[in-house]
Amino acid sequence: MTSRSRTASFLFALTLLLAAGVILAPAARAADPGGACTITFGAAVSLTGATAKEGEYVKNGYDLFIADVNKGGGFKVGNQRCQVALKIYDDESNPDTSAKLIEKLVTDDKVNLLLGPYGTGPVFSASAIAEKYDVPMVEPGGAGMKIFTRGFKNIFGTLPGAPSYLKSAIDAILAKDAKAKTVALLIENDSFSQEVADGAAAYVKAKGLELVYSQQYPKGTKDISSLLTAVKGKNPDIVLGASHLADAELVMKQAKDIGLNAKAWAFSVGPATPEFGKALGKDATYVLGVTPWTPALRFKGEDIYGTPQRFAEAYKAKYGALPSYHAASAVATVIAFQKAIEAAGSTDPAAVRAQLAKLDVPTFYGRLKFAPEGIIVKPMAVIQWYPDGEMYTVEPADAAEKPLIYPAPPWTAR
Amino acid sequence: MPTSPFDRLLGNRRRLVYGVAGAVALAALLLAPHLSLSGFTLTWLTTALLLAVRAQAWNFIGGYTGYAAFGNVAFYGLGAYGTAVAMTRLHWPFIPSMLAGALLAAAYSVLIGLPVLRMRGQYFAIATLGVAEATRELVSSPQLSGLTAGPTGINLPFFRPAGLTPLQAAEAGTRYFYLAAVALLVLVVAATWLLTRTKLGHSLVAIREDEDAAHMLGINTTWAKVAAFALSAFFTGLVGGHYAYWRTFILPEEVFNIRYTLDAILGAVLGGPGTVVGPVLGGFSYDALSTYLTFSKPFGFDLGQFHVAILGVFIVVVIVFLPRGIADLLGRRRFHWGIFLENIRKNRA
Amino acid sequence: MILTLGQSLVNAILLSGMLALVALGFSIVWGVLKVINLAHGSFIMLGAYITFTCWSAFGLDPFLTIPISMLALFLVGYGIQAGIINWVIRAPLLVTFLLTFGLDIVLVNLALFVWKGDVRSVSPAYAGNGFTLFFNPATEQGIQVPYVRLAAFAISLLLAAALHLFMSRTRLGRAIQATGQDKDAAQLSGVRVAPTYALTFAIGAALAGAAGSLISLMQPFDPGMGGGYRLRAFIIVVLGGLGSIPGVIMGAALFALVDVLVGISPLAPLKDGVAFAMLVVVLIIRPSGLAGKAFY
Repeated sequence: MTSRSRTASFLFALTLLLAAGVILAPAARAADPGGACTITFGAAVSLTGATAKEGEYVKNGYDLFIADVNKGGGFKVGNQRCQVALKIYDDESNPDTSAKLIEKLVTDDKVNLLLGPYGTGPVFSASAIAEKYDVPMVEPGGAGMKIFTRGFKNIFGTLPGAPSYLKSAIDAILAKDAKAKTVALLIENDSFSQEVADGAAAYVKAKGLELVYSQQYPKGTKDISSLLTAVKGKNPDIVLGASHLADAELVMKQAKDIGLNAKAWAFSVGPATPEFGKALGKDATYVLGVTPWTPALRFKGEDIYGTPQRFAEAYKAKYGALPSYHAASAVATVIAFQKAIEAAGSTDPAAVRAQLAKLDVPTFYGRLKFAPEGIIVKPMAVIQWYPDGEMYTVEPADAAEKPLIYPAPPWTAR
Repeated sequence: MPTSPFDRLLGNRRRLVYGVAGAVALAALLLAPHLSLSGFTLTWLTTALLLAVRAQAWNFIGGYTGYAAFGNVAFYGLGAYGTAVAMTRLHWPFIPSMLAGALLAAAYSVLIGLPVLRMRGQYFAIATLGVAEATRELVSSPQLSGLTAGPTGINLPFFRPAGLTPLQAAEAGTRYFYLAAVALLVLVVAATWLLTRTKLGHSLVAIREDEDAAHMLGINTTWAKVAAFALSAFFTGLVGGHYAYWRTFILPEEVFNIRYTLDAILGAVLGGPGTVVGPVLGGFSYDALSTYLTFSKPFGFDLGQFHVAILGVFIVVVIVFLPRGIADLLGRRRFHWGIFLENIRKNRA
Repeated sequence: MILTLGQSLVNAILLSGMLALVALGFSIVWGVLKVINLAHGSFIMLGAYITFTCWSAFGLDPFLTIPISMLALFLVGYGIQAGIINWVIRAPLLVTFLLTFGLDIVLVNLALFVWKGDVRSVSPAYAGNGFTLFFNPATEQGIQVPYVRLAAFAISLLLAAALHLFMSRTRLGRAIQATGQDKDAAQLSGVRVAPTYALTFAIGAALAGAAGSLISLMQPFDPGMGGGYRLRAFIIVVLGGLGSIPGVIMGAALFALVDVLVGISPLAPLKDGVAFAMLVVVLIIRPSGLAGKAFY
């Protein structure tokens, strides 16, 4: 054989190999039924990448609830009790990976129903796959209204819509100081934050306040002191941030650097997680955050936990720390499925979807009821960091652990 | 154009060999949807094919012309946005919208190519990187939000042919986007192959080897470089359009994510830049491996958390031992381990 | 308005020192080795995490950790260059580009594994303290100068001066310069190229480590923080011109000024876009940068 024909045959073999790869790629395999009756949920959650932390909280929520509900015999489906299983993958905080893995869960692993990922991007792409295969998904980690206004039938969400995020914080401040007049709004340039900002700006105007500064800045900004300098020139009463944890920390750190003072600070995402206080230390004090759930809220529910306090205990016993709202929201998604499956008496996607749409149950997470487009209807609670270095619920009034401190003293007087 | 090691080895018979190998590969790809493959397997193949297309698209400017373009995601994003705007605002059907998006990307590449392609080497690389970042900010800026909806992105129509049950529609959709990806691959490979037989292709290689000499030989280097850049942008834009309709939504931070620049370059370089086959093989296998690592547990060991790190190590190892890509290995008369050492000896300090 | 501009000017000056340090190491590696080190950002990130760990676990003052992160990054840099990059240093540009990109992925993911993806922050008791210039008691406003940023500014300039002295006054420094100008001639006159490259890369990494330590004091960070600094380093080096330490400082000052001024304008969401537009314009009119000779 000459070297030419050897190479030719090599090329040919390579092509065959390619073809064989196509044909022999793992064929569909049904999920192991694993006993008489098992309901398998599928989820792809960010366990690595940018939102690994939030993804871990969500996974913790799923794992805890499923373990606890299985201890009590599982879900009641018709006349029998079924164990609950979860098939979970890591979407690496990447929407492309999320879409692929959801497709794998539905077509290869043959899961019954879908739990959602964390983050706007992954929820967008995961929900499109759920809609494609007509399998209902309840998601705990995407609050963008654009996820829900696409006319999809199979997507339900347990976080309140982004435009409503900052409203309760604004209300809490106005309740303390009806004379507060001027507001500055800092907006991270991403989908969720823009929706938060649009909602907040409209609400600010509706309440007769004056928006003296409103500015987007690039996502991933490392230095925001120039924007804060501009804010300082406007001397606003209230500074609002529509952004995520890193930006909320950045704003507070650099506001102190350049001596920007305000009577109240509130952020859409960040202050309601313990990391915020850990990272900023005493500079976190007086900052307001909003959250759909805190362990201090007063709910009485028809679920295995019943109250926020009992859920918090169960979570703490297993993971050694109090749960964040991500975990609570994740548990709420599985409870929504539990209630819908029990009402439907089956795990048939269409029947479950119909029950999800008309669900209305009290839970430890609050009232579980979805608006027609699929997003939960739920007011936000307000928290504030106190001088003792702890975070307390200050709103709603019936669950307030401490009163709201207002105004925040200037940096020089702290 | 006998530049790749294959061509040298195959000599006169190379057309026949390429023809047969290509036909078999195409037949296998067209056969795939008729086998009982799961939706996921087809999706897996689809993304691998799309990376093969993007790697081959990068090959026009990066491989044949030798200009290290680090901003191709700008064309991907513009392709996606062009498609989305055409479909949602003008209510065009998908294929014309995708073409419009790709043409928008190509036009943009000419606009920025004229100044940017005057730079060489590292400066060109950085400038294109910068152009891509700037394009993302521009598209998501409040100033343009009337057209692009700013950072909140655009929802596209959902692929669901009338008269089918949801499950039938799902399968039809999977096949549709898979076959569209195959079509894009055929197009880009055909374009590359045609390019290697035209004057333009020869000009590009001449520019890569010695731009000043090429200029002296009377080649209109500006025109040739801009043409290569526009070809690269056009095909990258087509894939962007495919992405937009397939994913059903686009967000600026996603369609302008730098990973789309990098994986295309990796695919091309790992496979062998400046060849017809290399980028296709490199792109396809890189993406297939990458997807595999997201769910696999070989030997019961969960690689998931190391997925990206493993890809990083993979890149480092291939770059050190095979700086001219896998095609370098395939083109040798005989495989021997010395190839790796030879590469190192040639390039070390 | 005057106050806003004054505060912005102070911000820009203080920012420019830190940015110069970010770009210095990148510039010397690029100038001498002709390698665009895409892992430069992750060296900065490692510096930040070293400071964070020393501060949070051992209570060390963040400023005292700067020598530690410089030494650690020096060793990491030396190892990477001697053990990996030197093997492909003569391959085409794209090869080292991708190699350092692969290294960047590995380092970022190692950091994610060790420190998790959480946003971290180094906040010693004195963080955010400062003094006020032109204080107006009527409005209770003035130009705020934070101590931490001022110290970071001074340290950055000191390190730049030290690098300048090292490069011009010592044998090793001159060997590095000679290698950067003409590798083969340097080799003929007795310079061993491979160790010189490793030393240069190690110095670049050490400077990145110092920058990371300082940045950790000024802003929250996570393992992905490096990418933005890598791009800033690019722009600054191109603005200032490859191969000159004063050029880097000038480039950093210009970048900081534009960055701060765009930041207080409605163009704020186009901040990076404006910076890159500036870069492209500079490259077109002066391909070697605003103040550049060719090499170190």
